[in-house]
Amino acid sequence: MLAQVLFSGLALGSIYGLVALGFAVVFKATEVFNFAQGMFVVCGAFFAVTAITILKLPFPLAVLFIIGAAATLGVIIHVLLIQPLAGRPMLSVIMLTIALSIVMRAVIEIIFGSQGRNLTTPLPSGVFLIGDVRISQLHLTAALVSWACMAGFGAFFRFTSVGLLMRATADSHEAAVVSGVNVNVMNRLAWAIGSTLAAIGGVFLGQLQLASTDIENIGLLALPAVVIGGLQSIPGAIVGGLLVGVIEQLAAYYISPKSSDILIYGLLLLILMVRPWGLFGQRELGRV
Amino acid sequence: MKIIQANSALAKKQEKSRSRCGSVVTRVAAGVLGCSLALGAFGQEVPEDGVYKDRIDWGVLMDLSGPTSASQGIWTNGFQDYMRKINEAGGIHGRKINVLAEDNRYNAATDKINFEKLIGQTPVIAISGMGTSASQVGLAATIKGGKVPILGTYTPTKALNEPVSPMVYNGVCGYREMAMAGIGYYVDRLKLKNPKIMTVAIESAGGKEYHDYVAEIAAKYGGTATLTTMKVTAVDATPTVLEVIAAKPDLITIYGVSNTAILTMKGLAQYGSKIPGFGITYLGAPQIFTAMGPQAGANYSFVSCLTPGGADQAPGNKDLVAYADKVGHGAMKDDVNYVFGWVVAQMAAESLAKVGPQPTRAKLVEYLSKGFTVDTRGLTAPISYTPTNHAGPVLLKVFDYDYATSKFKANGDYSDYQKYMK
Repeated sequence: MLAQVLFSGLALGSIYGLVALGFAVVFKATEVFNFAQGMFVVCGAFFAVTAITILKLPFPLAVLFIIGAAATLGVIIHVLLIQPLAGRPMLSVIMLTIALSIVMRAVIEIIFGSQGRNLTTPLPSGVFLIGDVRISQLHLTAALVSWACMAGFGAFFRFTSVGLLMRATADSHEAAVVSGVNVNVMNRLAWAIGSTLAAIGGVFLGQLQLASTDIENIGLLALPAVVIGGLQSIPGAIVGGLLVGVIEQLAAYYISPKSSDILIYGLLLLILMVRPWGLFGQRELGRV
Repeated sequence: MKIIQANSALAKKQEKSRSRCGSVVTRVAAGVLGCSLALGAFGQEVPEDGVYKDRIDWGVLMDLSGPTSASQGIWTNGFQDYMRKINEAGGIHGRKINVLAEDNRYNAATDKINFEKLIGQTPVIAISGMGTSASQVGLAATIKGGKVPILGTYTPTKALNEPVSPMVYNGVCGYREMAMAGIGYYVDRLKLKNPKIMTVAIESAGGKEYHDYVAEIAAKYGGTATLTTMKVTAVDATPTVLEVIAAKPDLITIYGVSNTAILTMKGLAQYGSKIPGFGITYLGAPQIFTAMGPQAGANYSFVSCLTPGGADQAPGNKDLVAYADKVGHGAMKDDVNYVFGWVVAQMAAESLAKVGPQPTRAKLVEYLSKGFTVDTRGLTAPISYTPTNHAGPVLLKVFDYDYATSKFKANGDYSDYQKYMK
């Protein structure tokens, strides 16, 4: 049974890693600690409900719709809410993202109702056995797609010129501006990527569980994931997500459902006390 | 209808009384005084009991915006709609019923505040609902020692219902009855010997209590029962599903909120398991079946002492369906929670009508404690309360969902389940 629990932990952890990666991209680029990231996950699930169940779009078109809608949402939020607050204290921006998540939840519940929706996609949903381990094809697909997305965005940041400009902007806004980089465009792109990654996670969570505003709670597991992995670290976000997923499933299975919160947030506290820059983050050194 | 008849008889009596008063000139003064007293008494207010000249306030304590609001909110709609129907027909003895519904957000502390409010600040004659089991446990002693009756509890907890108190009347079939009917039916249907049953429950006082009954009934059939829990706010049931698969039970029974049933059955289907399961009465909403989808829903049913609207042609059922459609609540009519709220409101309205034109909390308690019956005209089996038994509906049946017609399908009649209830 350990192998079975580890499989489901890694599958769900991959989705958390994907959402956490989106969080880290936004934080690295704009230094916004986005408490609305969980609601981007919810939006992804409901974009999928809209495209597949309501509009009945063919699946490839539905995927484009979801990605387009999520990216547009990220850009709109950056332009209308985040950019005007540039230079303001971090607390104001944090409060803004908290308020934003509350507003988004209310809007979704008004439009779709508070009852969860069933989300069915053409993705494989059968089961196969490897020894005694039941492999859910949907969990496996979610994990594989998450890894593909993480690898794809990793390659984008590393090997493309736009990715290079984004990394440069994240490292130093001032230096980027002096070098002629349009920082606002880079930041919008970061928000578009962050919300798209969360939305992809939402599509899988919506199908694995239920498309409801409650999956925000799962999306918010990206926060301990990025802090554990390292706020500024892209690989850290991914590893943090996997760790959170595995700990959650092991604790819930072997101890009790509530114990997963204790172990996840206990680890978060431990990391903050012992290694505040996270497992993969770099310690910031300053001269005095 | 009985209430309207009682109302018109009373009006005629009042008319006669008026004409007698005016018949003797020399006794005009005394007559006027007498009539004034009589008429004054008829419309007398007892604000501390929630009784006013033109209305009676009735309290409802439910989760209207928290994790269980999907079921308790619909219950409240059913309750309010029945009262609205009564009010449209003239109310009870000329007074409208004003429902004061307080939202506890599934929080026992909020419930305590709301309860105190309905006792003293905006007093009500009685309270219905109380859907949070933790609140019932916490407030049990206060309620039993107080003056406000709780008529039609949404959830049956031992703390509030045992021993029988003149202040508490259960509204729905008890957990023991649910376990008896559900397990008995499945033992027959699956031809089980020594059934191995697993209870999937949310972490709550009610969940533990329900499982204790499941274990008791399983033992009666020579079987065993184990419990696995999940959070009430759970959005991922994978560990629970894996535990069920590892335990390989013959049958699972689910206690909790709609997500508990949806995530469990959906998760089992994702892992290729076809273990059948039945949910408690509250988990009998069409939205639950729709959300879990036909693959998972084929293995799921629920046990209920209330017939969902449209599931049969009983007169009570037809009335409910017609009124729900009329007031724009047609989408709720086949949810047992709506039916449940409707039935409790009927119980409340009939009790008030029987108490007479000048109700008070004390008079209502006096009437209820002597025992009473409610004929829901087919929405439930006949409900009977005696001075020593306040269990409420005791006969149940198992319902499946027909995805082709989007309607519930009963497995037999209430009377067919009598054999499992011993």
